[in-house]
Amino acid sequence: MAKSALILCMDVGFNMSNSGPGEESPFDQAKRVIQKFVQRQVFAETKDELALVLFGTDSTKNPLDNDDQYQNITVHRNLMVPDFKLLEEIENQIHPESQQADCIFDIALNVCVLVENTTIHKLDRRNIVLLTDLNSPVSSDNLDVIIENLKQADITLQFFLPFPAEEGDGEAPGDQDRRGPGHPGTGKGLSEEQKEGLDMVKHIMLTLDEEEGLEQIYTFSAIEQLCMFKRIERRPMAWPCQLTIGSALSIRIVGYKAVTEEKLKKSWKTVDAQTNQKDDVKRETVYCLDDDNETEVQKEDIIQGFRYGSDIVPFSKVDQEQMKYTHDGKCFAVLGFTKQSSVQRHRFMGTQVIKIFPGKDDEHAAVALSALIQALHELQMVAIVRYAYDRRSNPQVGAAFPCIKQDHECLMYVQLPFMEDLRHFTFPSLENNSKFTPSDEQLSAVDSLIDSMMLVEEDEDGKQKDIFKVHDIPNPAFQRLFQCLHHRAVNPGTPLPAMESWLKATLECPEVIRERCQSALGEIKNKFTLTQVEKKKKLKTSAQIFGKDSDEPEAKKAKEDEADEEFNLADIAEGSVTSVGSVDPARDFRTLIRQKTLTFEEVCKQLTHRIEQLLGNKSTDYYMKSITCVEAFREQSVKLGNADLYNSYLQLLKSSIPTQGLESFWELLVQDGVTLISEDEVEGSTVTRNEARQFLVTERIEEAAAHPAEDPGDVDDLVRIVLL
Amino acid sequence: MADWTSYYRNEDEEEEQEDGEQSAGEERLTGRDSLVFLVDASKEMFIKGEDGAPSNFDMTMQVVRTVYTSKIISSHRDLIALVFYGTEHSKNPNDTFKHVYVYHDLDEPGAKRVQDVDALRGEKGAKLAAETLGCGPSSLGDALWCCANLYSDIKLRLSHKRLMIFTCREQPHGGDNVKDRQARTKASDLKETGVVIDLIHLMKPGGFDVSLFFRDIVSPPEDESELGLQLEPCEKLDDLQKRVRAKEQKKRATARINLCLGDGLNVAVGLYATAVTARKPPPVKLYRESNEAVRSKTRTFHTQTGSLLLPSEIKKAQTYGKKQIEMEKDEVDFIKKFDDPGLVLMGFKPMEKLKLHHHIKPSVFLYPEEGEIKGSACLFSALLKKCSEKNVYALCRCIARRNNPPRFVALVPQNEEVDDAKVQINPPGFNVIYLPYADDVRTLDLPRCTSASQEQVDKMKDIVTKLRFKYKSDAFENPVIQKHYRNLEALALDMMAPEEVEDLIMPKVEQIDRRLGSLVDEFKNLVYPANYNPESKPAAKRKTADSGGGAEKKPKVEVSMDQIKVHVQNGTLGKLTVPVLKEACKQFGVRTTGTKKQELIDALMDQLSS
Repeated sequence: MAKSALILCMDVGFNMSNSGPGEESPFDQAKRVIQKFVQRQVFAETKDELALVLFGTDSTKNPLDNDDQYQNITVHRNLMVPDFKLLEEIENQIHPESQQADCIFDIALNVCVLVENTTIHKLDRRNIVLLTDLNSPVSSDNLDVIIENLKQADITLQFFLPFPAEEGDGEAPGDQDRRGPGHPGTGKGLSEEQKEGLDMVKHIMLTLDEEEGLEQIYTFSAIEQLCMFKRIERRPMAWPCQLTIGSALSIRIVGYKAVTEEKLKKSWKTVDAQTNQKDDVKRETVYCLDDDNETEVQKEDIIQGFRYGSDIVPFSKVDQEQMKYTHDGKCFAVLGFTKQSSVQRHRFMGTQVIKIFPGKDDEHAAVALSALIQALHELQMVAIVRYAYDRRSNPQVGAAFPCIKQDHECLMYVQLPFMEDLRHFTFPSLENNSKFTPSDEQLSAVDSLIDSMMLVEEDEDGKQKDIFKVHDIPNPAFQRLFQCLHHRAVNPGTPLPAMESWLKATLECPEVIRERCQSALGEIKNKFTLTQVEKKKKLKTSAQIFGKDSDEPEAKKAKEDEADEEFNLADIAEGSVTSVGSVDPARDFRTLIRQKTLTFEEVCKQLTHRIEQLLGNKSTDYYMKSITCVEAFREQSVKLGNADLYNSYLQLLKSSIPTQGLESFWELLVQDGVTLISEDEVEGSTVTRNEARQFLVTERIEEAAAHPAEDPGDVDDLVRIVLL
Repeated sequence: MADWTSYYRNEDEEEEQEDGEQSAGEERLTGRDSLVFLVDASKEMFIKGEDGAPSNFDMTMQVVRTVYTSKIISSHRDLIALVFYGTEHSKNPNDTFKHVYVYHDLDEPGAKRVQDVDALRGEKGAKLAAETLGCGPSSLGDALWCCANLYSDIKLRLSHKRLMIFTCREQPHGGDNVKDRQARTKASDLKETGVVIDLIHLMKPGGFDVSLFFRDIVSPPEDESELGLQLEPCEKLDDLQKRVRAKEQKKRATARINLCLGDGLNVAVGLYATAVTARKPPPVKLYRESNEAVRSKTRTFHTQTGSLLLPSEIKKAQTYGKKQIEMEKDEVDFIKKFDDPGLVLMGFKPMEKLKLHHHIKPSVFLYPEEGEIKGSACLFSALLKKCSEKNVYALCRCIARRNNPPRFVALVPQNEEVDDAKVQINPPGFNVIYLPYADDVRTLDLPRCTSASQEQVDKMKDIVTKLRFKYKSDAFENPVIQKHYRNLEALALDMMAPEEVEDLIMPKVEQIDRRLGSLVDEFKNLVYPANYNPESKPAAKRKTADSGGGAEKKPKVEVSMDQIKVHVQNGTLGKLTVPVLKEACKQFGVRTTGTKKQELIDALMDQLSS
């Protein structure tokens, strides 16, 4: 089993508590780094072991402490799997101490090497992480011995310092901290000891690994970079198989999951709130028939079936097992080759990308696979393959893309859709619609927004720099969950903390971009009109619907409230309403529409019929009643987003005023401001807001009569509705 | 359409539930979708094409069958009807209408119906149609009226109503004005009640002029374009399938959210799942006696007292680092909540920054929602145009629904694309591609690779070129699902054996071998030494171990008592194997009844840690 060991070696000497005003001390920072790291290990549930060594402690406790040289070094915890006890100890027991023993930094390393070697297990990776501000004086005498020891034991080393290793550019090499400068300590300049220490650190790192050594020096502030502790991660499982082309050609390959949505292995369990015991809670599922008595059915009396459309087909497990699709198991077989461009990115299915390498230690397979990869690359083609993980799993169809990097070649396999997976939705064209076509001005506003918000820039050397790399961000959901779990475990009984600021910041648009895009954003705001369409549900009072002036008399408002209440009363009685009656047609109308037993059209027909009856009486009382009907008609039409019936009716009504002598009724309607439903209120209405207003304002009846009806067909229909 | 997977998800897989969940809820709120096929059964429909090409009627039945079966798989709760007009015989409720034949009234499709439609296909089908339907005078008005009655007879609430007219006659009434007018009136009645009428016009000699009659019958297209009417008549089955499929699937947004460009500048957008992994549906539980479906009820109760537990009496817990940590239910939700649902723009990146391997789940499609924020479509359209022109994608933070943690997504512009028959292949909008976090990208130990020589590469290029084909994303059926449904079909229809399923994702080995000919051997000679066999196991190491027999396999149980004690102290007993643990139990005189690893560990821990 692949296992690794790691020693966290932290400086707790008094120098670590020095900090400028308003700055966090290096000690606190280092402690947080350790907490984060141990937390990560605990929650990752690795079997990897971890030890904690403190140096600069007042007391001494280490395997070498009989020797005078090894004072002020405490092995807080030997190598073992980290747990919450360790986290609690770090939280509560580790404090800055007052020692600053000479030369303990390098000696601490020695202790670490020793601790590393005490374990009884076979380890395949060993790593030491040192957190210090390098303020303790160092001697370089032992250095060569230490380096030799490290090399021999094959132990790797990482440093966490309060300042970047490289001065000047403000960033450590390999440090992709996009929040730029602002590392505590950088401004102050380094002490002599620190400079000396830093030189030594660099020396050690470069001796251990000439090329990438310096990349293993990090700063405290880069907590989000804890994903840098990559080397601790578990190794992906190898999937050995053969790539086949036809029956005669096969190449030994091995696949690894390269990208997949990582999920937490644990889920929430239900426990009793009193005892916190899981065993105290039991869930039970019972089955019952779908009859009035909900007759319970015993488990033994249940068989399984499947739905085939409206039919349910009894289909026993045994039959199902016998009749199901079977195949030959593990497989990576080429079906054919096709142009890369015919495999669209947005058609990728599944939840993973598998990288295919040649079989292990097989040079010939490597050459054969390399030939395939390069051939595909040169021809801009991909292989379409049948992939089956093993006999039990369902086969897939997918594409194997060639991937050629500086240091390796491989195929990348992605699943592609089956016919059954696809949904062919058609959407209205955006270009053919004049309403949606942006003007040149609008386009140029968007153009400058894009320019101002480019996250990838070229620096002076023409090198591209990406300031927002998503694949460097740790999954915030995990970070947040662990933060809360950690908090609850270490500080029981206190409310959960707010999200950590660094985490919040990683999820936001970078500050540089936000500042840079301000003017372009303003321009867009000017050039485009965006209006929130009021939700139909939200419209409750009739005042809102009708857009009446807010300064209308209180009395009227009260009346409307009353109307609302009445409507509620109607709820209770609604069961008996089957048609629009003459007593309270508006109420019946609303109820019927809510019941939906009749179509909207039918109910409208009944209502307009009643209105015609009422108007036929030519008396103010009946006019009032008619107006409430029209208002109800309007209100419900807006609610249902169907303006046509209402609008045509109102237009028809207007045109019939001279013939029927309804002038005084029309005046009432104008007073109440009951007008056409405009497109602002209901999408699809052919009436603009202005037209709706005009409809009442012009109020010249001759004109209205002359006003051409929009569509002769509509009027015909309407007449029919009204007369029926 | 977007709802079917939701039924089949495991509840524990909360993450996976995402797509579909909402739309299922929506369905419950809004009712069922319905679709009526109104098919012309006149003589003209039965005329065969040149070279024995199937008749229009035959093609139509083929399409109807496909829709039936696909609905059964993907949305079996939709209602479908099949009505013929221009028949000689009549069959409809109360037989009010002459020459209208309701073959299937509005109902969920089932096995029987598929069979019925099958019977109308091909040579035999034409004969059967002639017998049962016959050809007579047509009245589209009556047919539409009859369809209207089908709709009004349905007691369920219908959310989406669609009627498709299949015909190859541009003037069904031969210029009879009265009948034309009657049909127009009925069509507008139907449209008023919310029915969308589509014309699927089929090939006829001399072309099909929609403007003569049908323009007034069909519903206007969603957008301003005249696209719907300019369509050429369908000639091929493929085109017909495509056109029907495009209309038949009702699109539903899985979420409607705002895309925030910054500073409260919001564009309303809808997310659409355009590709969702189809799974075998889970079984339905049936009562043995009556084969009726049973409902399940789950309750939570206290083990000791047996009393039902209220939500307030339970907590949620997880164990980490040997400690159980408890949270209230609403705290669990609180932890998951980062922000309200929405897309927030971070910035833009050149397209080449979008890596092929940054793939963690199928993408979704983004389209503006003019109904939420007016003006959205215009700004969206501008954004789409400019992103596409500048070849950039928009990077956004995405929270698709309440209490979902954020994900970063790439909005990749996609321009509208139509095929020769003016059927939309790619709709205009953004494809939303989910990007991996650091945790999702695994570090691999890269094996040392040997590169191939140009000669070897060239030989492989020959092989690749020989096996070229045109990939289409809908070319492969899922053999697992198809097999499952064929089995069900056979059982439901009492067939002797299920119809054979062709496994389309099986390599056609013989064909490949034939095409490659000697190329394979030539390539093998170039890359493999003579005695090399890629099929064999790599090294002989394994073999010796295996031949050693079982006796040797038994590990030597030699762990000192001290080491065991260290393990107990460190809590690392789990690393030891079961035989070692058993031996340790013996050594320390720990009595255990258990044989499972955890039981052994617990016993040892109890004994030694005290």
